[in-house]
Amino acid sequence: MSNFTFKGGLVLENPFPAKEIDLIRIPLPDRVVLPMQQRIGDQAKPCVSVGDHVLTGQVIATIDDDRCAPVHASISGTVVAIDNQVMAHQSGLEALCVTIESDGEDEWMDNSVACTENYDFCTPDTIYNKIRLSGIVGMGGAGFPTHTKVQFAEGCHTLIVNATECEPGIMCDDALMQAYPTKVIRGVEVLLHICGAEKAIIAIEDDKKESIELLRKFCKNERITIEAIPTKYTSGAEKILVKSLLGIEIPSGGYASDVGVLCQNVGTLVAIFDAVVENRPLISRVVTITGSAIKEPKNLQVRLGASYDYVLSFADIEQGENDIRMAGMMMGVDLEGTNYSISKNTNCIFVNKPIEKPSAQECIRCGMCNTVCPVELLPQQLYWYSKSSNIEKALDYNLLDCIECGCCSHVCPSNIPLVDYYQFAKALNKQQTKEKEQTDNARERFEFREFRLERNKQERAEMMEAKKKALKEKMAKDKAQKIAIAAAQERVNAAKTAKESEDAR
Amino acid sequence: MLDAVSILSILALALGLVLGYAAIRYKVEGNPLVDQIDAILPQTQCGQCDFPGCRPYAEAIASGEAEINQCPPGGQDGVDALAELLDVETLTLNAEHGETKPKRIAVVDEKVCIGCTLCIQACPVDAFVGSSKVMTQVIVSECTGCDLCLPVCPVDCIDMVEVKPTINTFVPNVLELANV
Repeated sequence: MSNFTFKGGLVLENPFPAKEIDLIRIPLPDRVVLPMQQRIGDQAKPCVSVGDHVLTGQVIATIDDDRCAPVHASISGTVVAIDNQVMAHQSGLEALCVTIESDGEDEWMDNSVACTENYDFCTPDTIYNKIRLSGIVGMGGAGFPTHTKVQFAEGCHTLIVNATECEPGIMCDDALMQAYPTKVIRGVEVLLHICGAEKAIIAIEDDKKESIELLRKFCKNERITIEAIPTKYTSGAEKILVKSLLGIEIPSGGYASDVGVLCQNVGTLVAIFDAVVENRPLISRVVTITGSAIKEPKNLQVRLGASYDYVLSFADIEQGENDIRMAGMMMGVDLEGTNYSISKNTNCIFVNKPIEKPSAQECIRCGMCNTVCPVELLPQQLYWYSKSSNIEKALDYNLLDCIECGCCSHVCPSNIPLVDYYQFAKALNKQQTKEKEQTDNARERFEFREFRLERNKQERAEMMEAKKKALKEKMAKDKAQKIAIAAAQERVNAAKTAKESEDAR
Repeated sequence: MLDAVSILSILALALGLVLGYAAIRYKVEGNPLVDQIDAILPQTQCGQCDFPGCRPYAEAIASGEAEINQCPPGGQDGVDALAELLDVETLTLNAEHGETKPKRIAVVDEKVCIGCTLCIQACPVDAFVGSSKVMTQVIVSECTGCDLCLPVCPVDCIDMVEVKPTINTFVPNVLELANV
């Protein structure tokens, strides 16, 4: 048996450990702002209008393709706005959101019809559709629609449950497992039922002793094993987890489904349990509130769309100006202010005392980034090529395999924000690819139009020619006919005169 | 002596035949330089270069009839790329042909449109959908933002709208990063 570890990565302590990891359910927010643009895929389309009364769990936005997930009302109340709001994103751009003001009742949609505990009697298709309609996305932070992932993984042999926690400092998975160990196990059983995998492995980092113990206590299914893996950062990245658990390397550009593995976050499994067994769509999630300005880190069960201000009001925050960071210390995004709302992939909010960021120096080619890269890329080479916008070269060095974990930036003695460069290069590559597609398309359409116009002109000329010819023939024919008539007339006349002269005689 | 002469003559004849055959069999159709130039041009088909489309302009550049700095949508970057391809001194974009504008697309004001089909005929990439006396609209993904539909519209119902970056298409500024 391997020791479940991998090359590269960083051993990082939780910078702000909590004394107790409790899951705290906070009261309903007065209003929620639900973004239509989720992390991946197209924007969902709102199917409610301003002024409509909605119930908790009601669908408020539908989807056209399977790259995104529908959105549900997370509280009951009135839709007060459907407009653009600033998103918790590095760009600070706006996107379409639906705002619902609570009526304080939390009145649910009728959720009595469900597969209930007897999901074994439901066909995998029924359960798959249930997941699809429940708006479940990967709760680890990537936000990939779960139903699509399950669909891709058809015929997989192993289900891996990622309970490793994305990053040091985040505790939401741990809190969830301690609060709902049975839901986690049942969620795994539901997924085993539909994906057809023979076995499931729940991978937990070995610093979460209580969770491991609890899950082992509640797990009676011999198809499910619970493995403690070394606490080392990026062990939770899908590709690395698959490699360290099963020893299978996912090829460059591929997914876990390509090697017959389905990987799901533990939060997603709880959401699947809620959807399939209790018929409750995804309307809440666990958010860790931590950081240097927080006296005691907390894990809160929050309705989606609650504002950051509302959520942060449940934590003891030290007074003064603080920096807000969404998601982890390694991969998170620094945000301006707190005017945002909790989305399906907000796993953590850091509130930090402002510190002077050390300014970036020149690269000294120390090579430390190369040793820590968990996907065995050459961050230094990627940096040079990204910096000079040499996308072609960066792609040669497998830019697209970078998981943006931030290990390289973390160890860089020159404080170069390496991952920012890779994100830039990736975005530029995406833009250039799209532009190339568009120009090729325009060229083809222009050339086809030229061809069509030319063809039309030729066809018209041919038609005119044919008409002219027909007319000429007709005229010639007419002429012949006229001659024939004239000849006939002449004959008749001749006959007449002959007769007349005969008569006269 | 005779051997050498005859061997070399036979060799020359044989190779000459091979080369002659190859020249006919693998003849390059058209001018490859035109394709290379055309690949750099932005395919807006706007005609601002005084040629009726990107390919005619590429042909004109290849035959030396046009300068490389007549394409405003391609911008200075495009001029530089052409200069590099043709191995000539780069020029600044000729302002007489217009200025570089951000990517825009045409949007028809459906209430005003009378269905005259003039825009359909003017569009170089067939991006309009419509017919006589019915409302016409633009296929967003096909529009190159060439402005050619603007002058022909008798009721001025076409607007050019700038394409704003969304969260999905946002590109961080690398120069800002360098200044961190």
